[in-house]
Formats: sequence, structure tokens, C-alpha cells
Amino acid sequence: MNLCQQNANSKEAKMHNSCQLEKEFINKWVQGLQICNSSSKKMNLLERKKKIKLSADIAIASAKNLTTSWSKAIISEATKDEQNMTLVKNVCGPESKFMYAHQKVTSHKRTTSKKILKKCYGVHRKMKKMEPCRGSNLATCIAKRLVKKRTQVLKRLVPGGELMDEYSVIKEALDYILSLKVQVDVMKNLVNVTTSLS
Amino acid sequence: MLSGLQTTVSWSDVSGGDGDGGQNKSTLPWDVDHFDDQSAILSSKLRQHQITGSAGGRAPASALKSLQLPRGLGSTGESGLFPNDNIDDSNFKSPMGDNSSIQNLFHGFTGSLTSNQTPQFRHLPAQTFGSPGAAAAAVMNQVQAASVSAGGGGGGAPSQPRQRVRARRGQATDPHSIAERLRRERIAERMKALQELVPNANKTDKASMLDEIIDYVKFLQLQVKVLSMSRLGGAAAGAIAPGGAEGGGRTGRSSNGTVSSSNNNDTMMVTENQVVKLMEEDMGSAMQYLQGKGLCLMPISLATAISTATCHPSSSRNNHPLGSAGGGEGGGPSSPNMSVLTVQSANGVSVKDSP
Repeated sequence: MNLCQQNANSKEAKMHNSCQLEKEFINKWVQGLQICNSSSKKMNLLERKKKIKLSADIAIASAKNLTTSWSKAIISEATKDEQNMTLVKNVCGPESKFMYAHQKVTSHKRTTSKKILKKCYGVHRKMKKMEPCRGSNLATCIAKRLVKKRTQVLKRLVPGGELMDEYSVIKEALDYILSLKVQVDVMKNLVNVTTSLS
Repeated sequence: MLSGLQTTVSWSDVSGGDGDGGQNKSTLPWDVDHFDDQSAILSSKLRQHQITGSAGGRAPASALKSLQLPRGLGSTGESGLFPNDNIDDSNFKSPMGDNSSIQNLFHGFTGSLTSNQTPQFRHLPAQTFGSPGAAAAAVMNQVQAASVSAGGGGGGAPSQPRQRVRARRGQATDPHSIAERLRRERIAERMKALQELVPNANKTDKASMLDEIIDYVKFLQLQVKVLSMSRLGGAAAGAIAPGGAEGGGRTGRSSNGTVSSSNNNDTMMVTENQVVKLMEEDMGSAMQYLQGKGLCLMPISLATAISTATCHPSSSRNNHPLGSAGGGEGGGPSSPNMSVLTVQSANGVSVKDSP
């Protein structure tokens, strides 16, 4: 009973949130596109697509006000490339958020070096895993391994996912799916509007 | 059932107070009164646990904690107060296993109290599965009938090997096992929330839920890519920046066409292959999602017809993906070209929402 109520409330809240998110996303995206367009260089299809996608990603990430980890990851990755700096700056706003984004980059290096270390020991761990797998435990081991593989894939998919542990990856994936949906909806509507206008 | 539990508790009262109790008091090193308190506590915990249901990880955890208390108390006097530590370990295997262990403890309680012989504690759990077993079984029935009937309090292996390993390790240090359980609960919570978001997510298995999530994220990302590459490319840039290089929406689109046609072959192949690789991994679910999202794949003939009608030079390359897509699709040649092309060149037909 309580759970049902909670679910209903959260659904409404989610819809409200997504409307708000959509508005912010549109605003920021339009901003970003204008900036992209202002460069007089003529782009071919692929470049254009990349620009659009990039501006969309940055827009949705900044629409989150950097509250979530994946948005920070997107922004930090975008700031790696010097070309995108103006775009990111104008869309995102105040400078303080940048400092944070840069920090994320350095922590990434630390985690990658940790990962290399882990891989060295990975062999030992695999051997250890094999040992307790006998009889009834075999199914468990297989199940665990499947889950582990899939969480790894998910980590790769969600931006910034490799830096997080399993639990937060799921949380981030939740948020990321929501914002991807927002992106797709807005884009579709825009396509429909522009095609119907023509 | 709970009344049955009460009776087991009161048994200890009776046996403790009466004839046997007299002898027991002399031989048993611990306080029978203590026992009553502990068993009362345990029974209340058990009741609480059963009310909250077996899914709640916390109740067994607290029950587990409370179980530790008597163990600590008993250990000072008699190591055999409870069933063997070994036996306990094998029973404290899972959240479910906790219940069987609680139950075994009760067996131990009642059994030990009803018997006169202190040194035979170790045999008790196996032997006293007579009436106490029946009463406790009635209590435990909801939670794990299987392990009860499987008997063998000592060897009672709960039928959930997965949690067994975890709880065994966690048994050594309590806060870890509780933290572990908490963590698992939170993950399950998140998974439930994700179930609402992701379509087709009625799977109970964690691995397949993760599968669905992964597929869905891939699909959404693909959609964004496709959409940003489609008509939207020229349209958005054109409509939003009328003073820009593109001019109006229409000119934007036409320039898109002309520009793209020259580089089309090279650049499109790259994206096509990339996109196709993604789709070919999980074609079935991708098709499902496409249809669910109002995107449609159309037969090649139709696509070519439309695109030639709109007079695009790039239309000739409209091929279609594998005919594995449900009925009505043109038997596409096996070339890996994608519906992406139809999106781009066929006036955005594929992208329209179905009403």
C-alpha cells in the first residue's frame, strides 16, 4: 500500500521533473547550436551530426546542473578537446563548475592506474574463484560471473561509469536513461515540427 | 502458529521450574531465568520478522544480532549450550537460513531444557526434532518449509546457495554481513525503479534485468545519434539560425543534400557499419524498441519510391537490413546498410511518431 503510493508519487514527480528537464534542455541546446553555427566553416554531414550530438549532450548534462556523475563525466570529456571549450563555457555558465569538471579528469587517471594494477592481480582472483565452484555452488558462480560481465558492459555504456562501483552505476544509469529519453523526445518533436513546416 | 511459538517458550518455563528443572538447575550452569528473557526476546524478534516478511533483510539481521547475544551469554558457561558452532555456521547461511537457524536454536533451547544430560548437547538438535520440531515447524512454515522438512538441523542446507556463501563469510564479522545485506537491498530497490523505466522489464533475474537495461541504453544512444544525423541536421541548424550560413530551413536541407552527396559514400559507410554492428548484436530487441518508439522500417521498394519522389541523389543507396525484422519487410539483400539512410534521405518517414 505504501509502496504503491510511493510509486505513484514518484511517477508524477518524474513527469514533472522531465518536463522541467526538457525545457532546460531545449534552451541550452538551442544556445549550443547557435554557437556551433556561428562558426562559418561548412561542415559535412558527419561533422554536423557530431556537433549536434555534442551540443545535445552538453546541453542535457548542464541541464542537470552537474548534480549527477554522468553529467560531470560528459562535461569533463568535452572539455578535453580545446575546440569545444567555447561551446561548453557558454552553455554551462559559471566558471566554478569547470574546476570541478577538471578535477574529475585527474581522478580518472588515478582510477585507471588502479585498474591496471587490478588486472595484474586479476589472474589470481580468477583462480581463486574457480576453487569454491563445486557442485551446487557452480550455478552461483556462473550467475555471479554473468552479472559481473553485464555490469561491466553497463559501466562502459554510461558515461563516467567506469569510475564508479556497481551500486552507483545502477543509480547513474537510471538517471541517464531518463535524460536520454528527454533528449530523444525533444529531437523527435523538433524533427516533426521542422518537417511539417516545410 | 505464533501461539505454537509461545508454547515452546513456555515449555522452558515449565521444564525449568518443575521437576526436571530442579535437577537442571543444579547441573546447568546458566540461568534458566535468563533463558526465558532471551527466548522472549527472540520470539518477539521472530514475530517482528515474520510481520515484515521474509524479504526484509533487516529483520533477520537484527534477529541474527539477537541470536548472537545468547550465544555470548552461553559461551561463558557451556560451549555446548547451543548447537555446535559448526552447525550454526552452516545454518546461518542466508536470510532464509537465519530462520532455520533460529528454529534450530529453539530446538536447542527446548531440547536442552527438557533433557537432563548436559554433555549430550551436541546430539540434541538432531534428536529433538520430535514435538519441538513440529511446533517450530509450524512457525517457520511460511518462511522455509523445505529446510525444516529436510530435517537435519546440523546439515540443514538452505536451498539458496547464492546467499549461503555470502552469509558465511559475513558471519565472521557481523557489521559486514549487515552492510552486505543493506547493499543488496539498495541494489534491489534501484532495480525496481529501473524496471519501470525500461520497457519489457518484467524479469526477476538480476542478470537479465541488466541485459535489458544495457540494450535499452544502447538503443537510446543509437536513437540520439540517428536523430542528430537525420533531417534534424539541416533542419535544426537552419531553423534555429536563420541568419546563418544555411539560410532557411529549406535551403538548409537542400544544402545538406548536396553537401552530403559528395562525401556521402565515404562518411556514411563508417557510420552505417558502426550502427549496424550495434543493431546486429541484438536485432530482436532493437526491432521491438524501434516499433515501440514509433519508428518503422520499410521495405526497400517503398523507401526508394519515396526518396525518388523527393528527388534525392543519395536515394539510390537505400538498402535494408536483414529480413529478420517481422513480416512485411522487403527481403533485404544482405548488405549491411541501414534504415539510417531512410531516415536521412526519405524525408524523415522513419522518424515520425505513430499516433
